[in-house]
Amino acid sequence: MAAREKLNLLKERFGNAIQRADIPAEDRLFVFVDPQSVREICRHVFRHLDARYVISIGADDRPHSGDFLVAHHFAFDEDHLLSSILTRIPADEPAFDSITDEVPAANWAEREIRDLYGLEPRGHRYLKRLVLPDGWPDGVHPLRKDVPFDHVPEGFDPDREFKFDEAPEGCTVVPFGPFHPTLDEPAHFRLYVEGEMVRGCEYRGFMVHRGIEKLAESVLTYNDIPMAAERICGICGCVHNVAYAQSVEGAAALRIPPRAEYIRTIMLELERLHSHLLWVGLACHIVGFDTMFMQAFRIREPVMWIAEKISGNRKTYALCVIGGVRWEITDDLRAELRQVLDQLEKEWRPVVAAVQKDRNLKARTRGVGVADRHLVKDAALLGPVARAAGVDIDARRDHPYAAYDRVEFDVITADGADVWSRVIVRALEVFESIRIIRQCLDRMEPGPLSLDIQDELPVGRMGMSSVEAPRGESHHFVITGENNRPRRWRVRAPTYQNLQGVPAMIKDQQLADMTISLGSIDPCFSCTDRMETIDIRSGAKRVWSQEELKQLARGTRA
Amino acid sequence: MSLTSKLQEVLVCLRAGRVTLPYPAQSAPLPPRFRGRPIFDASKCIGCGGCASNCPAREILVYDVCQEIRILKYLGRRCTYCGRCADVCPEKAITMSHEFETATGTIGDIQQRLDLFMSTCQRCGRCFTEPSKLEELKLKGYRYDDLENERWIFRSQAYLEGQPVVDDIEIELD
Ligand code: SF4
Ligand code: SF4
Repeated sequence: MAAREKLNLLKERFGNAIQRADIPAEDRLFVFVDPQSVREICRHVFRHLDARYVISIGADDRPHSGDFLVAHHFAFDEDHLLSSILTRIPADEPAFDSITDEVPAANWAEREIRDLYGLEPRGHRYLKRLVLPDGWPDGVHPLRKDVPFDHVPEGFDPDREFKFDEAPEGCTVVPFGPFHPTLDEPAHFRLYVEGEMVRGCEYRGFMVHRGIEKLAESVLTYNDIPMAAERICGICGCVHNVAYAQSVEGAAALRIPPRAEYIRTIMLELERLHSHLLWVGLACHIVGFDTMFMQAFRIREPVMWIAEKISGNRKTYALCVIGGVRWEITDDLRAELRQVLDQLEKEWRPVVAAVQKDRNLKARTRGVGVADRHLVKDAALLGPVARAAGVDIDARRDHPYAAYDRVEFDVITADGADVWSRVIVRALEVFESIRIIRQCLDRMEPGPLSLDIQDELPVGRMGMSSVEAPRGESHHFVITGENNRPRRWRVRAPTYQNLQGVPAMIKDQQLADMTISLGSIDPCFSCTDRMETIDIRSGAKRVWSQEELKQLARGTRA
Repeated sequence: MSLTSKLQEVLVCLRAGRVTLPYPAQSAPLPPRFRGRPIFDASKCIGCGGCASNCPAREILVYDVCQEIRILKYLGRRCTYCGRCADVCPEKAITMSHEFETATGTIGDIQQRLDLFMSTCQRCGRCFTEPSKLEELKLKGYRYDDLENERWIFRSQAYLEGQPVVDDIEIELD
């Protein structure tokens, strides 16, 4: 049993620093450790036990235990184990030891904890704001329990500027985004360019942070949250819907009916199909291959239609409630779904065959946006980006959920570590998804769609769940709570990690390759609200303030 | 090699033919389960408030204007057409219609208001068909938003600063 085995390893080595452990299921491990040793323990887990970093999470437990919580999640993929290393942080000394030096991928997560909970990561070398807007007053931390969900803090300063880092010597700054023709969502990259070569970049995003976690912890209820969760993402919403439901079910030890598990699997795979088809289309579009963009979208459309027939909507399936699913897949729908899959397979084969041999596409994407194994490990990159670098991880196989333990499929990997490999991985994963859905259709037995939950869910339990989204593992963490809602719900979307790998991916390559490199992680963005113009002749730089932009837009400015 | 791949691509395109629909002149047929805007049926609704306390977007208000009249108001602003209200309604008074082209300059076009005549419970004095329903609802995971007053009203401070709840609704009517 992997959980016990890992726990014993930790106990042997760290003895008394391990305060308490909880093994609620074979594949879950929660360990409370001494805050003084957390850095050492995380280093050991990450480097020696070779776990994959997942996310770091803060929580305000003051109303219940008087402390804050900081949790670092690690996955032992080969052992099918998700683990959480928790520390209690006393309320009167709100600081914790940063693990970013040992685990570089924790960079953003720790800054986020600092922004939202006001816990200082001791020893973190780059303490810039990540999530909160620049004008947000210091000392107000929205996820603390004493801050109401609709709190508007005093002293918001819309003119306060974000301080960008100094550009390296000899480099010119090229602002990329917030609105850029090849970006589907706004994001701001400040590229440092030397001639045609990108030497580095700084990212500022999170400006449309919607506070959905706060909303869930203070307003919504258990069964409201799935409908809100699926709106986190414009493409892979069902992933969040299912991951949330599973983490609550995990926390409350609920086992959902098998038919519901199959239906969840089918809907998740349908979502992967339409997401991958869309991505292959978009990737072709970014490199100027618009014909294939159109064709990919045409081939994708029947998938949207069948999803609409099953769930009532093309994209927001509103699938899960705690304990099951809402939509039955009737015999008629099953037959129709089979037809859609046959047709899709037939049409996708020639596209893949053509794309695989397309020299132009290859020339444009080979050796571009490289993220090798080491970067994948250190930045905790996920999904097709990791698999294209030969890192064989896939939450569907490694941390099976829904009905994935009852179907057979291959995890597609490649070894180019570049954009080209990511194209191939995604193109081939389409066939695996088709295979999975077919098996589900064969194997699902009649039965109830949902549990009949009579009792209140237990309070103060923790649950986590990883779901393989089309763009990588989505990780959800829940602490159950009072009033029919969780105390804490944390969503770690795959782009959160993958975006942290982008600076390394675009470094030392042509500026023109920026868009496809960025596109190759299949990103989902937040946005930013500023614009910078550079006068080419004088080289003078000026940043437009929000107020100036407003005037400009309304024509009230001379 | 690349030439054959180009030819294959040409074939993919040629075989496809024309697929674009002349929308909005003609639209694709909607499947039976399609979730459009919810429609409330006043003749079936018993005013239990189940829809209101289960709406993730808090788009439904239920409040009493006097002992006998209960108002149910669908606000139609940020409804996501999730269909949870229709799911939980014990009387099947809500249908997810096939209307989806609901853009309008006048919010009143999509808002709905039911004036429900309620009888009064002899035991607790509140408007209910049966007092035991209340217990049943709680068991199913229904929840009051306002525990003190046991009203199913979502009070958003954006509108409510110091004002009585019912007045707030009058503001939203316009
Ligand atoms: S469809 Fe969903 S969002 Fe709209 S009123 Fe019903 S429950 Fe609320
Ligand atoms: S759940 Fe149905 S019966 Fe109850 S108030 Fe809503 S519409 Fe009326």
